[in-house]
Amino acid sequence: MKKVGITIGLPRALLYYRYRVFWETFFQELGFEIVASEPTNREILEQGAALAIDEACLSLKVYLGHVAALVGKCDFILIPRISNFGRHRNMCTRFEALPDLTRHVFRDRRLQILSYELDVLEKKDEENALMEMCRTLDCVSTKAFKRAYKKAKKADTEHFRERCRKQDALARRDGMKVLIAAHSYVAEDPFMGRMVTDYLRKNGVIPLRADLTDRDDALKHSRELSPTCKWEISREILGGIQKRKDGVDGIILLSAFPCGPDAMVNELIARRVKGIPMLNLVLDAQSGTAGVETRLESFIDIIRFKEGSL
Amino acid sequence: MAGAVRRKIAFPRYAEYHCAFRYIAEQALGVQYILPPPLTRHTMELGAKYSPEFVCTPFKTCLGSMIEALEAGADTLFMTHGLCRLGYYGELLEQILRDLGYQFDFINLSDYDMSKKKDLIKVVRRFNPKVNPARFLTQFMEGARMVEYLDEITAEYYRNCGFDASGGDYKRAYQNFLNDMYTAQNRADVENGYRRARSAMQAVPLDKPERPLRVGIAGEFYTVMDAFSNLELEQKLADMRVEVHRWMNVTNQFMHYKSHRNMRVKIMDLCQYEMGPTAAANIWWAKRCAERNFDGIVHIKSASCTPEIDVMPVLQTISRDYKIPVLYLTYDAQTSDVGLQTRLEAFYDMIDMRKKVL
Repeated sequence: MKKVGITIGLPRALLYYRYRVFWETFFQELGFEIVASEPTNREILEQGAALAIDEACLSLKVYLGHVAALVGKCDFILIPRISNFGRHRNMCTRFEALPDLTRHVFRDRRLQILSYELDVLEKKDEENALMEMCRTLDCVSTKAFKRAYKKAKKADTEHFRERCRKQDALARRDGMKVLIAAHSYVAEDPFMGRMVTDYLRKNGVIPLRADLTDRDDALKHSRELSPTCKWEISREILGGIQKRKDGVDGIILLSAFPCGPDAMVNELIARRVKGIPMLNLVLDAQSGTAGVETRLESFIDIIRFKEGSL
Repeated sequence: MAGAVRRKIAFPRYAEYHCAFRYIAEQALGVQYILPPPLTRHTMELGAKYSPEFVCTPFKTCLGSMIEALEAGADTLFMTHGLCRLGYYGELLEQILRDLGYQFDFINLSDYDMSKKKDLIKVVRRFNPKVNPARFLTQFMEGARMVEYLDEITAEYYRNCGFDASGGDYKRAYQNFLNDMYTAQNRADVENGYRRARSAMQAVPLDKPERPLRVGIAGEFYTVMDAFSNLELEQKLADMRVEVHRWMNVTNQFMHYKSHRNMRVKIMDLCQYEMGPTAAANIWWAKRCAERNFDGIVHIKSASCTPEIDVMPVLQTISRDYKIPVLYLTYDAQTSDVGLQTRLEAFYDMIDMRKKVL
């Protein structure tokens, strides 16, 4: 594989957690260098919060912090516009605005943004969008692109299937299990959801993830809980809840303040999923671990109390 | 049996469009229209009480208005679909109202694929199975015509009402127009009402300086248009003798510009992609105001409106490049009238001073 001498920066936030394997395989296969920002730390968060509009969600603040951390370390920063995967399969409008929004936030620093537009309703599918993006770089042949895309897609599918299998294995284990309903970029971020999963594990609870389940299956099942839900990730979570809710002892609805889709979907889940302890946890930039831990502790106590083991 | 009873339908109060909703419901669909009471503090409190905390404010307003409509005797509620969170309003509103124990029929456009003709007919038939499609179409178009007139006269009103030299005739003409629209029974009523309003407003003497202060209004679809939700921002500005220009309304967004593609050509330098449902229109309008040397722009949104928060960085760029002041206002269920008045007065003083200096 020949090197093309271009470094692509991947901000370690938002869709990085969904597309990491796909993006890395794809760009490496084409001979690009990849650099991802450090896992979220206090400095990244503070920098992002200073850059973003006050009212923006915590996830966007973290994202902008990661972009800032990549400035000067790469030739391009990858920020795609991902709008939808079809009817009733939209992303939050924030993902539509992301490339332009970031460009304007960093208006003084002349950011080099590499972007592609995924908008199936407007007939822009992933393969064509990526191909178009590669054309602007002018160093990728169609043949090499096709090979890289195929390989990346395969690696991504296998990686995700493996993670789902691990979840199934965890679900079969004995012990108290709690289902975490959260976007992957909230659940896996060290400054957001990771402290929840860490705390649960430390206290002998098995955390399961609602969004780590076969996606086609989840999309179908999501209709049973909410027939008109239109957000792809929310539908995956809804489907995951529908699939796993009978095998777990509690559900944690974990969201970043103030997540638009979650504000509505979590309310609906709380109203429609009955008979199981549920905790609605909203994380913001201020929440230290202490406040969250107290709430988790009392939640675990409630579950144990309900099951008569306390 | 159910077909014999006329439905009593309601849609949440929204700016002055209830005139057109009533016309379409009663003339085109042949159902009874229940006018929800005017929006008040009480409506907001009611809505905020039963809504999730971080949902956008229009959801709370809609919920409050729907509860009041049900109390006023409506048996069918209607909710539209939309590109942002609006597309999910229907299902959650229905769930909350059912949990409160209300009995009603709910027609939610998000249940249908409105780009298909078949689904469109299904929706119409649900309102009234006996509806005559040909009659429906003509009457619907007349209702749409009324929307155009409402938007045209409203825009005209806010541009000029601050300079009324007669002591209230301008406002009276506008109020009479709204009454005419609300009571219109047929096409002639609509046309005559519009013509009467036009000549009445033209007859009012205006005392307008040669170069009045001009302010452009942009923002989120519901709050920017609904005078109660934005605490009568346009009237407040107009009362300070400012020409108020707002592009965003139902006519401009949906009827005159079917596609945003052409609009996006003019803002290519600012954004590469479509950033959200009303982003292109708002950015284009802000840029146009700046290019036409307006004295300021007011950007209005409800609390936690995602698409409009994302437009703000672009407006900041416009503000800096064209040296035009932008006032960003966020409305939630608690926003106070006095606080807004203070901010507007400060904004007015600033743009007034700039005009004298520059």
